[in-house]
Amino acid sequence: MALAETGTATVAAAAALVAEDIHKSFGELEVLKGVSLTAREGDVIAMLGSSGSGKSTFLRCMNLLERPNAGRITVAGETLRLRPAKQGDGLEAEDAEQIRRIRARLAMVFQNFNLWSHMTVLQNVIEAPVHVLRRPKAEAVEYAGEILRKVGLYDRRDSYPAHLSGGQQQRVAIARALAMDPAVMLFDEPTSALDPELVGEVLRVIRGLAEEGRTMIVVTHEMGFAREVSSETVFLHEGRVEEQGPPQEVFSNPRSLRFRQFLEGNLK
Amino acid sequence: MDFSPIFENYPLYLDGLVTTVKLVGMSLIIGFGLAVPLAVLRTSSNPLVNGPVWAFTYFFRGTPLLVQMFLIYYGLGQLQFMIDLSQRHDFLKDAYWYALLAFTLNTGAYTTEIIRGAIMGTPYGEIEAARACGMSKLQTYRRIILPSAFRRALPAYSNEVIFMLHGSAIASVITIVDLTGAARIVNSRYFTPYEAFISAAVLYLCLTFLIVGGFRRLERHWFAHLRPREETTGRRKVGQAA
Repeated sequence: MALAETGTATVAAAAALVAEDIHKSFGELEVLKGVSLTAREGDVIAMLGSSGSGKSTFLRCMNLLERPNAGRITVAGETLRLRPAKQGDGLEAEDAEQIRRIRARLAMVFQNFNLWSHMTVLQNVIEAPVHVLRRPKAEAVEYAGEILRKVGLYDRRDSYPAHLSGGQQQRVAIARALAMDPAVMLFDEPTSALDPELVGEVLRVIRGLAEEGRTMIVVTHEMGFAREVSSETVFLHEGRVEEQGPPQEVFSNPRSLRFRQFLEGNLK
Repeated sequence: MDFSPIFENYPLYLDGLVTTVKLVGMSLIIGFGLAVPLAVLRTSSNPLVNGPVWAFTYFFRGTPLLVQMFLIYYGLGQLQFMIDLSQRHDFLKDAYWYALLAFTLNTGAYTTEIIRGAIMGTPYGEIEAARACGMSKLQTYRRIILPSAFRRALPAYSNEVIFMLHGSAIASVITIVDLTGAARIVNSRYFTPYEAFISAAVLYLCLTFLIVGGFRRLERHWFAHLRPREETTGRRKVGQAA
């Protein structure tokens, strides 16, 4: 944000992720009807919306886990080249090399953690740095140790995912994402699969990352988290951005009727 | 009951044992090497890719091993060009290689299906996580899908190894002196069927124990991620003390 104020040239450079007019249909059902979003460096964007509003689909379109039907995606200044898919519908990456490079810049944290179950915590964290970024193993192990300390799981580094609680597994997944030094971190409902008493430990870690100035897009149902931590709150409804702005504004003074209803439903 | 012919002929049994171990070991190793790429092709959604593999596994799992071995040993031997070829290459007259080929293709077919099943059982989220961090398809297979699939395939594969060992007894039908072949020779010389075959059976049993023990060790090493937590830490302590 501070960078953005120094001049127009840096404004463009400081955009970590720009999504323009993303459309996505599953068969007849149009899930995204043209969603645009810009995450500048250091932004923490909270995406809210009832289930089926398209927020997870939007996030998954960013790294092409889901094929959008139309739109433009730019990550750290590099625009993803897309072409119509050869099999099935939607757009696919024109250049396999480029999409891998961009995916490595966009680390994703999943609702169900998706840790590699046959690897220990440490192996999970160093896997992509060593085999995708080609970092020397010793260096990756050292960095992983640092990150694991940060998420409070250094002493569990030799455990397997199945031996950890859900909250611990999600913190490992966050560590795995951090190990890539990503330009943007994408969180897909990171606390939705957790028991209520485990949500706090994961949110604390994410909040810590926000304070460090990490660029993040967080799809969440945690209203309190969105209000306190995000620099921008986006409310999606039926595949469109219905409300968008700083949380202080949108929460206290929502313009859209749908968002007001959504808040009332949640704040009851 | 007289076991003296067995003891007098123990080198014959020993040679037979070595032949059995070599034959089974080699067909398992080559068969496994064959099965991994075939299993990957078998999971392809393109019928031109998975169709031929399906036909191969269907044939070799759908017919008796003995028939397959006869087809390869006698069937190939009937072809003129194989007859010509074996005039020039002496090793083609040895039944051993035909048995090896039959066993390799057979275990290859079974192992292909075992690994295919294990590949299909990979949690989809783990594959998605690999894609999301920028792994290529090849890397995803090598680093995530196959290591995870091999672990799941291990119990079924240990059965396949034991079946293969026992199935290999039919090699004795086409003049190979394996463990069963040795027993048959001793039986025909001394007419002591009980002693001759029970000795072979005991040796097969020992081999089976070795295989089971070997797989148990592998499972202990590879299944650490599935064991209850107490047991993992307990074992690590034992390991550290040693």
